[in-house]
Amino acid sequence: MSDQDQPDRDDRVLAGEYTLGLLSADEAAAFEARMVREPELRALYAQWAEDFTGLTDDIAPQAPPARVWQQIETGLFGTRERRSWLRRFTFWGGGIVAAAVLVLAVFLPDLVERGPVPPVDPPYVAQIASEDGSLVVQAVYDDATGSLFVDRESGGAAPGRALELWLIAGEDAPVSLGVMPQDAQSILRVADDLRGRVAGAVLAISDEPEGGSPTGAPTGDVLAVGPVQES
Amino acid sequence: MTTRDEIENLILRVAQGDRAAFSNLYSSTSAKLFGVVLRVLNDRAEAEEVLQEIFVKVWHNAGKYSVNGLSPMTWLITIARNAAIDRLRKARRAEKPAELEERIADPGAGPEEAAIAKSEQSRLTACFAELAARHAEAVRRAYLEGETYAELAARFDVPLNTMRTWLRRSLLSLRECLSR
Repeated sequence: MSDQDQPDRDDRVLAGEYTLGLLSADEAAAFEARMVREPELRALYAQWAEDFTGLTDDIAPQAPPARVWQQIETGLFGTRERRSWLRRFTFWGGGIVAAAVLVLAVFLPDLVERGPVPPVDPPYVAQIASEDGSLVVQAVYDDATGSLFVDRESGGAAPGRALELWLIAGEDAPVSLGVMPQDAQSILRVADDLRGRVAGAVLAISDEPEGGSPTGAPTGDVLAVGPVQES
Repeated sequence: MTTRDEIENLILRVAQGDRAAFSNLYSSTSAKLFGVVLRVLNDRAEAEEVLQEIFVKVWHNAGKYSVNGLSPMTWLITIARNAAIDRLRKARRAEKPAELEERIADPGAGPEEAAIAKSEQSRLTACFAELAARHAEAVRRAYLEGETYAELAARFDVPLNTMRTWLRRSLLSLRECLSR
């Protein structure tokens, strides 16, 4: 029996269907799993991708408006975060000393560097870091379980003080996620009602008295911040 | 015009976290990708959002570029096309049956035959021309409109299995023609 009679058994056809997005989610996942270990299948896919891209040859380029690039930069590198953070700090009023605003203004511009590749492909990651690198915490978040894995790569609490982790979602006031344990690596549990709000939020670490902020809002300097991003 | 090697070099530098290269890559390729996304979505506001998503993906996934075996523009256009199709399909899932009927009946939503005809000399176009007109149209719609087997079967008013057979035989014919 030739391939022509059984086109659905032909990997060339399967790769074409995958490229077009015609496979069901299960079929596509199975195809991707095979691609990992079968270089021939990868080559078939690459061939189709090259060929079908030819269907876009006649599509004329169109310059996107400048705001698109601004939003990409803001989303990735946090330049907009800086403004809204400063605004937020003024809203917090007496809870935060002016020094914290200065610290933020100095270290925010270069906050976000790309984190290391996480071990198990979690949905969200964040690098919470101070500009001078004296405090760097990698966070990995799984919204399905609410577990926030934190790895303090450098820095730590001052003697007699504690580091407290905060979630800042949108324009809301910071919500405590807890005091960072002494151990460099630990898992914090995000409360059920906060689980869905971590994506797209900002994580921040403040300097607090031992045991954490007595007021429920940050009281000491904000030492490090970082946006939560899809991994 | 940025050459293939230049774009490849930019992607490799983006993989190292080079923001200047990322900015250059955007300048060199965003207009083409925006054109593709607009063609698929036909809505500027949506297309702008998707273009943002695309470049965020490019920033995070540039490290995977060298292992996938695609040429740099194919890699970028594939990311763009897939992101646009994802957006389109999400919108369609929320569609009411009457809206689906209307869209499927709308001849204006089709791929530009004229545009395809312009590149007559290309191998791809020649191979598409070897297919029955309706079969070629179904393959194009799957690529440029993201239509599923079920949507194509409804559009061409044939049973689902018939549509699968059309598509699979068309893919096989295309592959054989393109490999000649």
